[in-house]
Amino acid sequence: MAFYADKDYSEDQEVLGMMNEVMAGNLGLRWYNANTEKIKGKPSNPERGLTYQDLDIGTYGYTDIPEYVRTSQSMVARGSDKSIGKLPDMGYVVNRKSDVWSDNVTELYEESKARRWAPATDIPWGALGEKPVAEPLEAACAQLYTFLQECQLVSLDFPSRWVALINQDFIEQKSFMCAQMLDASRLLEVFRKRALYGGAGMKRASVSAEQCLKEWLWAETYPQGSVSINLALAGLLLNIYRQVAAFAPTTTDRALLGYAMQDSGRWVSYGTGCLRYHLEHQPGQRVSMHEYLDESEHAMLGIIGSPELLEPLIIISGGGFEKDQIKAGRDSVSRFIKLAVQEYFERLDYAGLEGRAHRSRIPHVLERIQVA
Amino acid sequence: MALSFPSTDYFEALKGQMKAAQEKFSRLGFIDTTFAVSVGNNGKAHNYVLEFEVYELKNIDEVPTVDLKKVDFSIEGDERVWREMIENIKRNGQADTAHDINTLTHFGEQLKIVYDDPDGHDKLYRFMESIQEFFDLSSQLEVSFT
Amino acid sequence: MAYLATHDYLEDKSFVDKWLYTMRTGEMDLSWMNAKTEKIKPRPQNARRGLTYRDLDVGSYGFTEVPEKVRDNRSYAPRGAEIPAGVPDAQPWVSRKSESWAFNTESYYEEAVSRQWNATTDIPWEHLEGVELPEATGKALSQLMTFLTEVEMIATDTPAMWLPRLSPDFIEVRAFIASQAMDEARHAEVFRKRALTTGYGLMAASPMNEMALKHLRDADSFSEMSVALHLVAEGNVLTMFRFSEYLSPTDVDKRIFRLVMQDEARHVGYGMQHFKYVLENFPEKREVLHAHLDEAENISFAGAAATEVTESFIILAGGGMKKEQIDAGIKVTTQFNLKQMSEHFERLEKCGMPERKDRSKLYQMFLMGKAAAEAQGIKI
Repeated sequence: MAFYADKDYSEDQEVLGMMNEVMAGNLGLRWYNANTEKIKGKPSNPERGLTYQDLDIGTYGYTDIPEYVRTSQSMVARGSDKSIGKLPDMGYVVNRKSDVWSDNVTELYEESKARRWAPATDIPWGALGEKPVAEPLEAACAQLYTFLQECQLVSLDFPSRWVALINQDFIEQKSFMCAQMLDASRLLEVFRKRALYGGAGMKRASVSAEQCLKEWLWAETYPQGSVSINLALAGLLLNIYRQVAAFAPTTTDRALLGYAMQDSGRWVSYGTGCLRYHLEHQPGQRVSMHEYLDESEHAMLGIIGSPELLEPLIIISGGGFEKDQIKAGRDSVSRFIKLAVQEYFERLDYAGLEGRAHRSRIPHVLERIQVA
Repeated sequence: MALSFPSTDYFEALKGQMKAAQEKFSRLGFIDTTFAVSVGNNGKAHNYVLEFEVYELKNIDEVPTVDLKKVDFSIEGDERVWREMIENIKRNGQADTAHDINTLTHFGEQLKIVYDDPDGHDKLYRFMESIQEFFDLSSQLEVSFT
Repeated sequence: MAYLATHDYLEDKSFVDKWLYTMRTGEMDLSWMNAKTEKIKPRPQNARRGLTYRDLDVGSYGFTEVPEKVRDNRSYAPRGAEIPAGVPDAQPWVSRKSESWAFNTESYYEEAVSRQWNATTDIPWEHLEGVELPEATGKALSQLMTFLTEVEMIATDTPAMWLPRLSPDFIEVRAFIASQAMDEARHAEVFRKRALTTGYGLMAASPMNEMALKHLRDADSFSEMSVALHLVAEGNVLTMFRFSEYLSPTDVDKRIFRLVMQDEARHVGYGMQHFKYVLENFPEKREVLHAHLDEAENISFAGAAATEVTESFIILAGGGMKKEQIDAGIKVTTQFNLKQMSEHFERLEKCGMPERKDRSKLYQMFLMGKAAAEAQGIKI
C-alpha cells in the first residue's frame, strides 16, 4: 500500500483511552460548538424540490468558492469546521475553480438526475423484434452502434480519470462528473444492446477513430480534455444522434437516439460553459487553447472520416444500398458534416474562443467535399 | 369544438393536456426552457413564446416578433409543415419518424431552428423527449387550420 | 499532449483522399460488413425486466466467456467486435477477470439503473417546514450528516480512479462502478442537504475518518481497494444507516436512510460477491488480502475513536444530553458498534475467509467488547 496511517490505532493508548472515556459517558463534545454558519435552507420552488441552487448560501455556497482553493486538500465538506484536527492530503491536482467550473453545472447536475432513464425498460425493444430491419441495412446499424460503443467507452473514461484529482470543494461539479459516468455507461449499454438485438452481430472497431479518441482522452489538462471530450466529441455525437434519428429505420432506434440526444446535450452544454468560464477567468489561456486545438482538431476528421462511421451513416441516411439511396445518403451526410463543424465553431465562438473557424485547418478540407 | 391552429387557444389546450399527463412528464424529468413557435403564412408569421418550467408549460405569449435574446431557440416554419405534423400526430397518436421535431428541423428545410446562443440551441436536445411528447399531445385535440 | 494519434488525419493524404472519394462517388470499402463476429439474437428472458445484460450473456459477447486473462483486447473495442491491427492500447492495469469480477455484477448494475432516486425530489423536504429539533438532537444530527457527506465522495473517487484502469472487456464491472459513482454523489448530496436544513449547518470535520479515506485511495490493486471500500467501509456504513434509520428524529430522516441503505446494500453485495470470486479464482491473493485487511481494520479502530461521530450517535440514540439519556445512548451505540464488527466478520466468513477471526485484532476487540456488554446486560 502507498499509505499507512500514522499509528497502529489498536495499540495506541491515547486512542483507546479516548474511546473508553466516551463510552463511559464522558463526552468531550469538541464538535458541539463547531465554528460554522447556521442556516436553514429550504426549497425556493416546492415543485422542484430542494436543489443545490437553493443551498448556494454564504460559506456553503458555490458562488463564493474562491478561484484558488488553497486551504483544503482533504475530503472535508465545504463550509464545515476543519479546526478539530490534522487532516490528510488527498493529493488533488486540480484546485483552480476556472479549470473545471461552469455557471450551469449545478443546473445540469439537477437536470441529469431528473431526466434519468433505463435502457432495459424505457426502450421499446419489442418494436424491433416485430419489424426487423432488412439484413444489409441492419448490418449498417450494427456497425454504427459498434462505433458508438467505442465513443462511449472513451467518454466514460474521461470523467473517471479526473474526478479523484479534483478538489472536493467543487462538489457540485464533481457530482456532475458522476452523472456523466452514469450517462456514458447507460449509452454504452443501450448501444451494445441495440447492436446485438438486431441479429447482425457486432462489427468492426475503428483504428482511426480510436487513435483520435485516445488522443483526446489523454489530453494533459482538464480544460483541454473537456474541450475535446465534452465539447468536440459530445457535440459531434449529438449531431450523429440527430442525423440518425432523422432517418431512423425503426421506432426503437428513434427512441434510444432521443435519450442519447438528451444526455449528450448536457455534456455539450457543460463543455461549452466550462470553456467559457475558463477563458473569462484565465484569458491568457486563449492562446494555449488555440494551440492545443491546432494540434488536436485533426481528430475530428479522423473520427468523421472513419469508414466505420462514414459508410454506415451514408447507408442509413439514404435508406439502403441502391445507387439512388447511396446518392441521397451522401448528400445528407455531406450536409451533416458541414452542420456538425459549423456548430462546433459556433460553440467555441460563444465560449470566447473567437476566430477558430478562420484559424482551423478543418474548413479547407471541408471545402473539397463534392457529391457527384 | 375544433381549436384553430395557430392560436393561443391551441397552446392553452396543450398546456391543459400536459397538466393532465403530469405523471408522464415528471418521469421524463425537469423541462426548463423557453422557446418560440413561429408559424408562417403568406409572408406573415404568428409567433408564440412558450415558457416551460419544472414539469409544465407555465406561460404562453403571442408576440409580434420573436426576440431571440429572450428565448432559448425558435422553431420556425410554414403553416403547411406544421399542419402536416399535427395531422400526422392525430393520425398516428404521435409523430412518426418523418414528422417528429428532430427530423423536421434537422437540416432546416421544413422547420428551422433559429437561436442567438448555441447553449440555448442545445436545450432543444436536452429536453427533446419532453418537447416531442408535448407536441404529441395534439393527438388528443381537434384542430382546424385556416 | 500525453498521447498523439499515429496520424495527423488532416494531413494524411490517403485518408483524406479516400474520404473525399467516398463522398464524391459513393464507392465504399464495406469490409466491415464481413467482420468475423458471431451473429446472435438475444431476447428478454423476462419481459417485465426488459432487455438486460444477462440476456446478452451469449457466446463471445457474454461475460461468462470472458477469459481469466484478457489477452486479445487492450483497445477501446467493445467486447466481441472485430479488432483490426492498429487500434491504440488503452493501457489497462487490470486484465485479469478475478481481479475485478463478482458473481451477478450485471444484475447489480441493472438494479442500480432501475433504482436511481433523486435527492432533490424524492425526499419530502417540505415536511421540515416548521420543524425545530431540540439543540442537542439538531446538532447531533447535523454532525452525523456532516460526517456522512464528508465520507461519501471517497466511494466515488476511489472506484472511479480504477474504472479506466480496467480492461474495456470488463464492461459490466465498469458499468457497476459508474452506477456506484452516481449513487455516492447522491449520498453526499442528500446528507449535505439535510445538514443545511437543520438550522445548525455543517459541523466538524472528521480527521480520523479521513485517514481511513486516504488509505482507501492508495490501495495497490482493485481487489484490495474493493475489500477496504465495499466490504469494510461500506459494510460499516450500511450498519450505521440501519441504526440511523431506527434513530431518525423525523420522517424525512427515515426516508433518507431507507433510500441510502438500498444503494449501500448493493455496493456491499458487490463487494461480497467480488471477494468470494477472488478467493475462488485467484487463491494466491488470500495472504495479500489479509495484509490489506490488517491495515483496513487498524483504520476501523481509528473510526471508533472519531469522537465527533460516536458522541453525536450517542446523543441521537439517547435523545438528549442528560445523564440518563447519555447512558441510554451509550447502550444503543454499544450495540451498534458490536453489530458493525460482528457483521464485518460474518461477511468475511460467508465469502470464504473464516480464518480472519484468528488473526484479527479487531476481532479480539469485538470479543472483549461483547463480553463487557453482556456483563452490563446489553444484548446484541
